[in-house]
Amino acid sequence: MKIRRVLSIIGLQFIGLIFCALSEGVVNVQCPGDIDGDAQWTGAEVQPPNTQCIHLAAGDGFVTMADGHLQYTFGFSEVTGVLPEDVMSTGMLAAEFPGPTIKVKEGSNVYLTLTNVGMIRRPDLFDPHSVHFHGFPNAAPIFDGEPMASLAINMGSSLTYYYQAPEPGTYMYHCHVEATEHMQMGMLANLWVTPLQDGTTVGGCTAQQYVFNDGDGSTCYDLDFPIQLSGFDSIFHDLHIAVQPLPFAMMKDNYPMINGRGYPDTINPNPLSAPAENGGIQSQLMSSLITATAGQKILLRVSSLGTVDFYTLSVLGIPMRVVGRDARILRSSSGQNLSYITNSVTLGGGESYDIILDTAGIAPGTYFLYAKDLNNLSNNTEDFGGMMTEIVIL
Amino acid sequence: MENTSKRKTIGIWLLSAVVVLFAAFPAHGAIDGITGTTFNLTARPGYISTAEGGSYLMWGYANGIGSGAMQYPGPTLIVNQGDVVTVNLSNQLTMPVSIVFPGQSAVTATGGTPGLLTREAAPGGTDTVSYTFTAAQPGTYTYYSGTRPELQIEMGLVGALIVRPTTNPATQAYNHPDSQFDHEYLFLLSEIDPIIHDQVSAGNMALVDNTTYFPVYWMINGRTGPDTMTPANNPLLPNQPYNSMPMMHPGEKILLRMIGGGRDMHPFHTHGNHHKVIARDGRLLSSGVGADLAEMAFTTTVVPGSTADAIFGWTGDRLGWDMYGHTAGDPLQPNEYAPDHGKPFPVTLPTQLEVTNGQFFSGSPFLGTMGYIPPGEGGFNPNSGFLYMWHSHNEKEIVNNDIFPGGLMTMMIIEAPGVVLDNP
Repeated sequence: MKIRRVLSIIGLQFIGLIFCALSEGVVNVQCPGDIDGDAQWTGAEVQPPNTQCIHLAAGDGFVTMADGHLQYTFGFSEVTGVLPEDVMSTGMLAAEFPGPTIKVKEGSNVYLTLTNVGMIRRPDLFDPHSVHFHGFPNAAPIFDGEPMASLAINMGSSLTYYYQAPEPGTYMYHCHVEATEHMQMGMLANLWVTPLQDGTTVGGCTAQQYVFNDGDGSTCYDLDFPIQLSGFDSIFHDLHIAVQPLPFAMMKDNYPMINGRGYPDTINPNPLSAPAENGGIQSQLMSSLITATAGQKILLRVSSLGTVDFYTLSVLGIPMRVVGRDARILRSSSGQNLSYITNSVTLGGGESYDIILDTAGIAPGTYFLYAKDLNNLSNNTEDFGGMMTEIVIL
Repeated sequence: MENTSKRKTIGIWLLSAVVVLFAAFPAHGAIDGITGTTFNLTARPGYISTAEGGSYLMWGYANGIGSGAMQYPGPTLIVNQGDVVTVNLSNQLTMPVSIVFPGQSAVTATGGTPGLLTREAAPGGTDTVSYTFTAAQPGTYTYYSGTRPELQIEMGLVGALIVRPTTNPATQAYNHPDSQFDHEYLFLLSEIDPIIHDQVSAGNMALVDNTTYFPVYWMINGRTGPDTMTPANNPLLPNQPYNSMPMMHPGEKILLRMIGGGRDMHPFHTHGNHHKVIARDGRLLSSGVGADLAEMAFTTTVVPGSTADAIFGWTGDRLGWDMYGHTAGDPLQPNEYAPDHGKPFPVTLPTQLEVTNGQFFSGSPFLGTMGYIPPGEGGFNPNSGFLYMWHSHNEKEIVNNDIFPGGLMTMMIIEAPGVVLDNP
């Protein structure tokens, strides 16, 4: 144990040195109008119209399950606003789970730079990483992130992806390199495109926010919340940090989660405490506590990036109106509204649902959103946890 | 991933790609199968290969009475709407076997012996049962064993049935132009738990336990990736004749005929674009006017025993850059999105030392244009097409037992205009 710790510290220092040597000039952010490379426009820098820049780091880190079990992860972290010379040190051991939510406006020019900061706790690995913009229509392979048909970025370097943000809706992004492993390890996040109709009043929608360019306000909402479903197989993660062969065939998730946490951590409104193994960097930033005032319309942007299971999600006491699926409004080709009320939706990996909870007439109180495949209401052997969160109506 | 398994995986890829590139096989339709109105099938045992080197006993429907190779899945039966279809089944297995045709009405069974769901062919090879029905409605259907289905479908007794419409049967899936396609491909999705096959192979029928089912192989048309991408009728896979290698040009449409051929659901994700699900279980999603209730999806859950038909198109519109790398004065390619014509590629790609090139990367972001790739990388995309992975998005299912990548995946190829498709 002692020897291992010493070795691991030596390893960390060694890798750190390599990155110090390499990092000069290879963190390359491409963002029009940005001069200092922080993917933002500050001082004299001028933001071109209709342009959005994002800078993500891809690396490793740790997260804590709701029963206290520590898990080694791969993940994305937010380095937008960080100067290139600081990106390596900021991104190392900073993997967020899920990764930073990306929200872009339909039609805007999106420049997403991904810098691979390496897996510092697995210095034996030299894995490249990518960003797959899951569901973006008419993608070209060069920016699709699927590594066999294009390229992926090596450790210590940056690749900038470009998209003209497509049709609005709920998408997701994840690393597609060795996808079974990197996704099980946590390289998952939310990706949303907001419609051009936003900011105008259509159909009496005073909030001026819509899921789609509906033309009639039928997808109007006041508040939106990510509900990203995933699961961890703790054996896979434990073997990973122990540098053992990975059990692909035996993969079986025992920590079902919403937005990277199991219940009751899902309703903690704050970031979870930082694991010491991260060097004190917070890694589970996203709460799933939903709070609204009676009368408001809540948009649930539900997606699944589980690598193993299907999940069935339900809300008790508030009707769920499904207005969209896979980033498309539910309409017939003749324009008929095909949205429907339900009290459950079932998702496999890579599927999304846009669900509006209209809380008009709903009594104040606490309502539950949870998996109806009830084995998912657990944090490993700990009962009454897992894929559940609360909706508080004030 | 461990280096040894990575090397092994790359070796498998190389081998399969070489087979794709250089093997000379007879030309064939994109959906392989047998046509006519009378089909003779025999249930018999045989072995299939998995891409990482496994070999498993299967039971499958062979094409012929007492002859033909066991195949997984069974022969794709292709008939025309209105045909009176007869399927004769004989049995070389050690237990009774049968066929049911979900979605077909008034199926009559004669001969054989009575069974629970339908009449069965007794083992021994001499008993024959005949099923007859009228293929009244066009669409994509499946057929499978109606005898101990929890075991026999797992063992491989499943296949596809395609009923072509009376209107434009070569280019439409249904009697409405909303189902028009340029190319059609079958995606029969399944999985197997090798423990069951090993027990059957060893004759331990009493030890077959369906309650502990835990598949570790996932398949398209009976093959695990990357074998999915080798040609149909590949002699290296004598009992898995069907491949899955969709191809198209920009602006064309692919019809996906998806079938749940096992016991699990699979979320099938099409990289590149959404697909439009126009029909389920052999019926257009329609309120009476074409496929007006079709659903756009980037992932469709394929359900056991069910089918779904989807249309996939890809034009490359609104990329925001010219995917051919044209300058403004160059002529337009067929189906090119004119507003992006001549627009420059928006970013600078990293240097070669900073990237890992995929096996199917042409070295260039542009369709039909080859770029520089370092020796030993890439090279399996001779026409510099755009390739997109089509796969199960429960990503556990893109492995072959413990070896990544493989499983329920293939690559769809968009070739530049003018390039002849190998698999039309």
